[in-house]
Amino acid sequence: MSKWRHAHLLGIRNLDKEDIEYLLEKADSFREFLENSPKGCEELKGYLLVNLFFEPSTRTRTSFEIAGKLLGMQVVNVDVEVSSLRKGESLRDTVRTLGRLKPDVLVVRHSASGVPEYLAQFSPFHIVNAGDGLREHPTQALLDLLAIRRFFHRFEGLRMAIVGDILHSRVARSLAMGFGELGGRVVVSGPPTLVPREVEMLGVKRVFPVEEAIRNVDVVYLLRIQRERQDAGYFPSLKEYAAFFGLSDAYWEKIKDQVVIMHPGPVNRGVEVSYSLVENERSLIEEQVTCGLAVRMAILETLIREGEKPWEKRF
Amino acid sequence: MGKKILIRRGTLVLPHKRLLVDEDILIEDGVIIRMGKGIQDPQAHVIDASSLLVGPGFINLHVHFREPGEEKKEDLLTGSRAAVKGGFTSVVCMPNTKPPIDTPMVVRFIGYRSQEVGLTNVFPCGAVTVGCEGKNMTDFGLLKKAGIVALSDDGKGIQSARLLYLAFQYSRYFDLPFLLHEEDEEIAGGGHMHQGEAAFLLGYRGIPEAAEDTMIARDLVLALYTGAKIHITHLSTAFGVELLRYFQKFIPVSADVTPHHLLLTDQDVAQMGNFAKVKPPLRSKKDVEALKEGIREDVIEILASDHAPHTAEDKEGGFVDAAFGISNLEVAVPLYVKALVEEGVIDWVNLWRKLSYNPAQFLNLKERGMLEEGKIADITIVDPDTEWEVAVNQFESKGKNCPFDGWSLRGWPVYTIVGGRVVMRERSIVDGEFC
Repeated sequence: MSKWRHAHLLGIRNLDKEDIEYLLEKADSFREFLENSPKGCEELKGYLLVNLFFEPSTRTRTSFEIAGKLLGMQVVNVDVEVSSLRKGESLRDTVRTLGRLKPDVLVVRHSASGVPEYLAQFSPFHIVNAGDGLREHPTQALLDLLAIRRFFHRFEGLRMAIVGDILHSRVARSLAMGFGELGGRVVVSGPPTLVPREVEMLGVKRVFPVEEAIRNVDVVYLLRIQRERQDAGYFPSLKEYAAFFGLSDAYWEKIKDQVVIMHPGPVNRGVEVSYSLVENERSLIEEQVTCGLAVRMAILETLIREGEKPWEKRF
Repeated sequence: MGKKILIRRGTLVLPHKRLLVDEDILIEDGVIIRMGKGIQDPQAHVIDASSLLVGPGFINLHVHFREPGEEKKEDLLTGSRAAVKGGFTSVVCMPNTKPPIDTPMVVRFIGYRSQEVGLTNVFPCGAVTVGCEGKNMTDFGLLKKAGIVALSDDGKGIQSARLLYLAFQYSRYFDLPFLLHEEDEEIAGGGHMHQGEAAFLLGYRGIPEAAEDTMIARDLVLALYTGAKIHITHLSTAFGVELLRYFQKFIPVSADVTPHHLLLTDQDVAQMGNFAKVKPPLRSKKDVEALKEGIREDVIEILASDHAPHTAEDKEGGFVDAAFGISNLEVAVPLYVKALVEEGVIDWVNLWRKLSYNPAQFLNLKERGMLEEGKIADITIVDPDTEWEVAVNQFESKGKNCPFDGWSLRGWPVYTIVGGRVVMRERSIVDGEFC
């Protein structure tokens, strides 16, 4: 088994193919393990996990919390609403103070791109990026890859269409990089206002219209559309979005024998995906959630057991 | 066997080939089935087109038919009658109705109504923004599905650059062109006529060229960066032509003008009064010359008319209170002949091209805008020689707000054939098939 060479999980961009496969391999066993009850273990008993979320999140934070607890960790959620940041303390001081409470892993989500990398410069504990601005969401990408791997048992030659708000999506960035690294091919589509030309630098092709993009793929990955993008003028209405950029039952009939549907959640039913397709047998949307737990367990275990020690390196 | 029409002994105008040929043309079931010399067909109804010009029907991509909501000014019936009287087999109607053409329901309503009227082809133009209020994009995709061919907030410029920047990007998904009314409201500042000596002397608040030119420049830059298909409608300024000329090196941007901006200037306002109140305002002599030069050089590729009918009440009162707009649909072609052909700016073929083939290409109407076997039989026949006077009281349009009353003009359409049906014959609307 390869030795894990990283102190943190900051983004997919820092990982090579071997790293990703190593994590997925491990996550796959955790995924099997999750079918058991009782499913807790004491693998990481005595270690402290702090969830520091500067953006509201239920799904990701809960997933990290359960992952830590199933491994026997102590888990603390820092509620930013009542934290000293509101009193004007700087991000740096907040995190340095938290550091003196001696966590082993800090899971951080922030609306500003680059915050996890900044914290990693001076933090004597492992940092896991749970989403930073528009940049990366590496655990989401890894859980998506796990779900794909468990369905198709391969990546080489697989084709995926990511549809929706590419411009503002850290999920799209991380996933396109990870899927590409493993040998898959990605096309993107959606409203042209939200699918910038620059995405092509990731080796991704822009294809319009959506019907064309999803015609010959194995995975249709629909991104959540945020209401505030409409208010900012990127598209006119949810009705129009559903009609042209969502996956309808009618179109599904044409492609259903060859593709699976994925979505990072939470789904706007009837907008990105028609109401009934969420629970379709070829939808991996709910399986993605369980894979998320497995992937996060694998990451915590790997960083603590095998990761480089940030304090050895920097302090 | 279907209904046949044979147009004999006329001169065919083939704008897509830039040719005039002396040939006959045979129509059956709404389609051109044969073109050639000396066609005989005993079953066909014959139109004798000796010394007349026969060409593809005129397409006007800028008219206001006011329905729904302002039927006092015009409706789809009177507007359509005015169109075919003026030789227009297709028109694009602007969305500033009440309610505006900003939902699929209104688009479909116009479709059904105009089919019921059954005279000219009416293509609705959808609003760029909800309510033409300049704030939120309309559902371009759903509107296109319902039948719009272009987007415009005509009557107003779109003030927000960001909104238009995003709308330009978004429009590409649906391949919808924009017809842009260019006017910066802050600069225009509630003016009433072109800002110049005439306005100064008359004491009317002016609308400077800068109100139009700054918006044109902005929108050309936005089109350059987004790849949107844009068209500047009712272009009126000399520098606007210059901007267009420059940007055409980089992007395929087009423009149209109106006949009144070629035949009148701000100097005419003193005498013509309210009927010469229009947006953009009648400009200076220098602007008129520049527009003509732009037309000659094909910088301006399309001729439209901005037919804007109003009631007498709307045009009454002092100049400051009167509505903007000129009713001109049934005299647009002879006015163009006067301004352009008789002045030697362009020839008949090029005039016809700017009135049919070019707008058809721009609107992606593949079956229209040319005379060719297999194409839809939308045909206009023009008498290039006979002079008639403009008689506004004879207008089919409800809008009698036309400053050209009494003008003696040549180049009147004398037959209009839409989808193989004669709908105007010898300058009268005919109801039904032929004869």
